[in-house]
Amino acid sequence: MTPERWQEIDVLVQAALERRAEDRSAFLAQACSGDEALRREVESLISYEPQADAFLEQPAFAGSVEITADEQQRLLAGSALGRYRIKRRIGAGGMGEVYLAADTQLERTVALKVLPVEVAADRERMQRFVQEAKAVSALNHPNIITIHEIGQFDGTHFIAIEYVNGETLRERLQRESLTLAETLDLAVQIAAALAAAHEAGIVHRDIKPENIMLRADGLVKVLDFGLAKLTAHRDEQLDGEAATRAQVQTQPGMILGTVAYMSPEQARGLAVDARTDIFSLGVVWYEMLAGRLPFAGETTSDVLAAILKNEPAPLTEYVPELPEELERMVNKALRKNREERYQHSTDLLIDLRDLKQELAFAAKLERTAAPTNNDKATAGPTATDTESQNAQTTSSAEYIVSEIKQHRRGLLAVLALLLLVAMGLSYWSYAHRAAATDTKQIESIAVLPFQNASGNSDTEYLSDGISEALINSLTELRQLKVIARTTAFRYKGKDVDPQAVGRELNVRAVLMGRVRQTGDTLNVQVDLVDAATGAQLWGAEYERKVSDALSVKQAIAREVTEKLRLKLSGEEQQRLVKRDTTNAEAYQFYLRGRYFWNKRTADNLRKAIGEFQQAIDRDPNYALGYVGLADCYVLLEQYAGVPASETLPKARAAADRALQLDDSLSEAHTSSALIYQRMWRWAEVEAEHKRAISLNPNYPTAHQWFAGYLQTKRQFDAALREIKRAQELDPLSPIISDHVAWIHLLKNDLNAVIEQCQRNIELNPNFPGTHYLLGAAYLKQRRHEEATAEFQKAVELSGRASQWLSPLGYCYAVTGRRTEARRILKDLEEKYARREATGQDLARVYAGLGEKDQAFAWLEKDFEQHSGLLQIITSDYSFADLRSDPRYADLVRRMGLQP
Amino acid sequence: MASYYLRRRRPGDTLQTSALINEAYLRLAEHKNMRWQNRAHFFAVAAQAMRRILVDHARSRNAAKREGRAFKVSLEQAENVGQQRGAELIALDDALNELAVFDQRKSRIVELRYFGGLSVEETAQVLAVSAVTVKREWRAAKLWLLRALSSEEQN
Repeated sequence: MTPERWQEIDVLVQAALERRAEDRSAFLAQACSGDEALRREVESLISYEPQADAFLEQPAFAGSVEITADEQQRLLAGSALGRYRIKRRIGAGGMGEVYLAADTQLERTVALKVLPVEVAADRERMQRFVQEAKAVSALNHPNIITIHEIGQFDGTHFIAIEYVNGETLRERLQRESLTLAETLDLAVQIAAALAAAHEAGIVHRDIKPENIMLRADGLVKVLDFGLAKLTAHRDEQLDGEAATRAQVQTQPGMILGTVAYMSPEQARGLAVDARTDIFSLGVVWYEMLAGRLPFAGETTSDVLAAILKNEPAPLTEYVPELPEELERMVNKALRKNREERYQHSTDLLIDLRDLKQELAFAAKLERTAAPTNNDKATAGPTATDTESQNAQTTSSAEYIVSEIKQHRRGLLAVLALLLLVAMGLSYWSYAHRAAATDTKQIESIAVLPFQNASGNSDTEYLSDGISEALINSLTELRQLKVIARTTAFRYKGKDVDPQAVGRELNVRAVLMGRVRQTGDTLNVQVDLVDAATGAQLWGAEYERKVSDALSVKQAIAREVTEKLRLKLSGEEQQRLVKRDTTNAEAYQFYLRGRYFWNKRTADNLRKAIGEFQQAIDRDPNYALGYVGLADCYVLLEQYAGVPASETLPKARAAADRALQLDDSLSEAHTSSALIYQRMWRWAEVEAEHKRAISLNPNYPTAHQWFAGYLQTKRQFDAALREIKRAQELDPLSPIISDHVAWIHLLKNDLNAVIEQCQRNIELNPNFPGTHYLLGAAYLKQRRHEEATAEFQKAVELSGRASQWLSPLGYCYAVTGRRTEARRILKDLEEKYARREATGQDLARVYAGLGEKDQAFAWLEKDFEQHSGLLQIITSDYSFADLRSDPRYADLVRRMGLQP
Repeated sequence: MASYYLRRRRPGDTLQTSALINEAYLRLAEHKNMRWQNRAHFFAVAAQAMRRILVDHARSRNAAKREGRAFKVSLEQAENVGQQRGAELIALDDALNELAVFDQRKSRIVELRYFGGLSVEETAQVLAVSAVTVKREWRAAKLWLLRALSSEEQN
C-alpha cells in the first residue's frame, strides 16, 4: 500500500467512526463515489471496531513505566472492583493506574486511581493521606476535584474520583498557546483552589500542568491534593540532597516532569509549606504565558540547578506587551526565598482578581467609549472599526481587547456588548423623547405573582419564578422602588384590584400576569397597570417553548423598563441581562431552588440545594446559582441543626465562586457576609454587608442580615434601623417581620413585640418563629400559660425542630415544670447525636434549669465545633443569667467578640 | 487470534518483571555515553528496546522449538507466556514493520503504547502531537493491525 492510498483510507475510517453505525454505509457510499475497492477496504477495517477497544490495551509487559511500582496489576475492561466496573484505562503515572469506571451503585462515572501496593502498604502514611484527602474533598470547592471514596477491595487500594471530561492543562498547552485573558482566568481558578486548600491547612506539593484539568466549559479542576506526600520517599526529612535524590528515584517516570515545577525548598529537600504551591503555580503561569519553562535544563540536575540559582528570563522577552503588573506578580510568585514570595495564596488571588477586573474594565471602556463618540445611527459598525484600529496600538488594555477578540467567546461578548450599547442608546433617546412630551415617570412598582393558569401545581415554580425573576431584575434599577417578593407574594392566588394594591403598597404601577403551559408550550400574558387610574399602560402576550422561559423573562423585563420610561445607565441595562444564565434549563432549576429556599424549613432547604446544584451543573458559570447554594448551606445549621463544620465550607466555596464570576452581585456579597459572620470572621462581615448594600440598596435580605450582625454586637438601635429599611422594601415578608419583632424583644420593648407578632400572625398564622417571639414576650411579662401555649405552637408547626423545642424547654424550666424540661433535654440530646441540634439548644434549657456547668459544657461543644449560631448568646435573653459568669466573657472573647 | 492480548495478566507475570528490566537496562546501557535529550527520548528508546527484547526472545524460542531443543532462557519466567504468545508477538512485530512502511507514526504509537506501556498523554508528549491525535491514530492502527493479524491467521 502506498502512503497516499493509506491516507485516503485513514481519513475515511476516522470520518466513518465518528458517525453512528447505521449511518456509516450511506456515508461511505457517497464518500467513495464509485471507488469500490476503497469502500471495501474502509468497511473491512471498520468491521474490526468491536474488538479494537480491548486490543493491545494491556502493554506487552506491565511495569515498563512504573519501574519501581512493579507489583502493580492492571485491571481489565469489564472486570469489577467492589461496586466499580472498570471501563478502560485512561492513564498511568507514578501514582499508579487510572481507570474509567462505572459506579454501579450510584450509577455515575468515576475515575478510579489504583494505588501501587507499596504505597498502600504503608499504613501510617496512607492514613495521613486519607485524612488530608477527606479534608480537601470536604471543601467542596468548585476548582478542586471531588474525591468520592477512598477504599480497598480484595487487597487493592483505590481512590474513586469525580470524572472530569476534559483535558489536562498539559494537553491544552501542547495543542495551542493561550491568550492572556485565558491564562489570567486559569490562574485565578487555580489560585482559588489553592487558597481554599491552604486555608484548610493542606499543601498540594505537586502543582503542574498534568494535575490541572480543564473542563470543556472552562471550569478548572485541580487534581491530586496531597498525593505527592503519599509517594514521597520515606527519608524525605533526612537531608536535603538525599531527599531530592530519593524522591527522584522513587518516581522515575515523573522525574523531569515534576522537577521543573519544584520550588527551591523542595529541590533542597526542605520541608514544604503553602508557599511551595505558590512557587509551582508561578512556574505553571510562566509556562502558560511564555510557552516555555522558566527553569529548564537537559538533565534533572541542570533543572534543579536552574531552580536554585538562575533568574528566569524576563517574561516580556516572550510576550512583549505583557502588562507590567502581571509580570511583577509572576516574579513575586517565583522568588527563590519564600519569605519574599506571596505569603498566602489568598493575597495572590486578590491581586489576580484585581488585575483581571482592571483589565476587563479597561477592555470594556474601550468598547463602550467607542459608539458614544460617533453618530448614533452608525454606532454599531463604527464601533467595530474603532476596535480594529485600537487593536494595533500597544497599551495593555488594548492588548487585552485584541486578545479577547481573538478568542471566540470573547468575540461573542464584544458583540453582546455592542448590542447592549445600541440598546442603551435607543432607550436613552426614547427616555429623552418621552420626557419632552410626558414628564410623569413611574418610580415605584409591584410585580404581583403571575397566575398559574395551567391548573397544575407542577408548573407553579414557573409562574412564581418568572414573577420573582422580574422582581429581581427590576430591583437593580436605582430609581425604581420595587416591592419585594415576599410582600408581593401575599397576593398570590387572590383576585386583586390593582388600584387597591397600589394604595396598600403605595406604588404607582402594578404588573400582573398569567402563565399557561400546554405541552411544552408556554404562554405568558402580562399587563402593566397604572395604579392611580387603573388604566392599562401596556399589555403583551408571549408564546415560547418551556425551555425558553428565560427569554420570556428577559423580554418582559426589557419592555417593562421601557414602558416605565426609566433612564437606564449602561451598567444597569447590562445587569438586567448579566446575572442570568443563557442556559434555559439551568434557569429553571434555579427558579425551583428559590421556590424551595423561600419556604425555609430543613426539608425545603435540602430540596433547594439539589435544584441549585443542577442549575450549576447545567451552567457552571451561573453566578446566582452559586449564590443560591451558598444561601442554603449558610442557613442549614439554623434550620436543620447540621454542624457548621459541614455546611460553612460549602457555603463559602459557593459564594467565592459566585464572586469570582460576578463581583458586582449584591446577593453574593450578602451571602458572603452572613457566611463570614457564622465563621466568626468579624473583620470581613461589615465590609461585605456594606458592599452588598452599596451595590443594590433595594435588596431586603442585605438589610435584614446586616441587622442580624448588628444585634450580635448588641447595637440594637442600629439593628432596628436596618431591619426597618428591610421592612419598607418588603413589608409583608414573614421572616423580615419576625426579625422586626425580634429586635424589639432584644430592646425589651415587649408591647411592640406583641403588636408586631399579632400583625404577623394575622398575615401568616403558620410561621413558627412568630409564635416563638410572642411566647418570649409573654414569658417576660410573666404570662406563663400564654407563653407556654405559643412556644408549643412553634414546636408543633415546625415538626418539632430543635430550634423551637429548645425555647419551649427553657420556658418549662423557668416556670417550674422541670420534669417536662428534662424530657425535652433528652429529646434534644438524641437530636444532637443525630446532628439535628446544636449544643446551644441544650445549653438554653440548662440555663433555664439554673445548671450553669452543664450549660457551659454544651456551649463549649458548640465552640469546639465552631458553631455559627453560638454567637446568639450575646443577645438572646435566655442566656442572660450566664453573662455574669466569667466563663461567659471568656467564651465570647474566644469567639472574637466583645463580651 | 487476538484473544491473547485480551487476557488478563496472571499475577505471576509481574513477580518476574525485574528480570526483564535488568535485560532492558543492559540494552539501554549499550547506548553508553548517551545523554538523554529529554524524557520523551528516553521513553522512545526504552519502548524500542522493550520491543526488541520481547520479539527477539520469542523468535529465538520459536527457532529452538523448531530445532527440537529444550531451551531455557532467563526471560521465560519473566514472561510466563506460552508458545502461542511468542507467535503472536512475532506476527505483531511483522505487522508493525509493514505498517511503518506507509504510516511511520501509527507504528510508533503502537510501539510506545504497547511495548513502552505509555499512556495516550505520554505518547503525545513523546511524539509532540496532541493527545487527540494519538487517540485517533491509535484506534486506526489497531483496526489495521487486527485485520492484518486475523488475515494472517486465516492464511
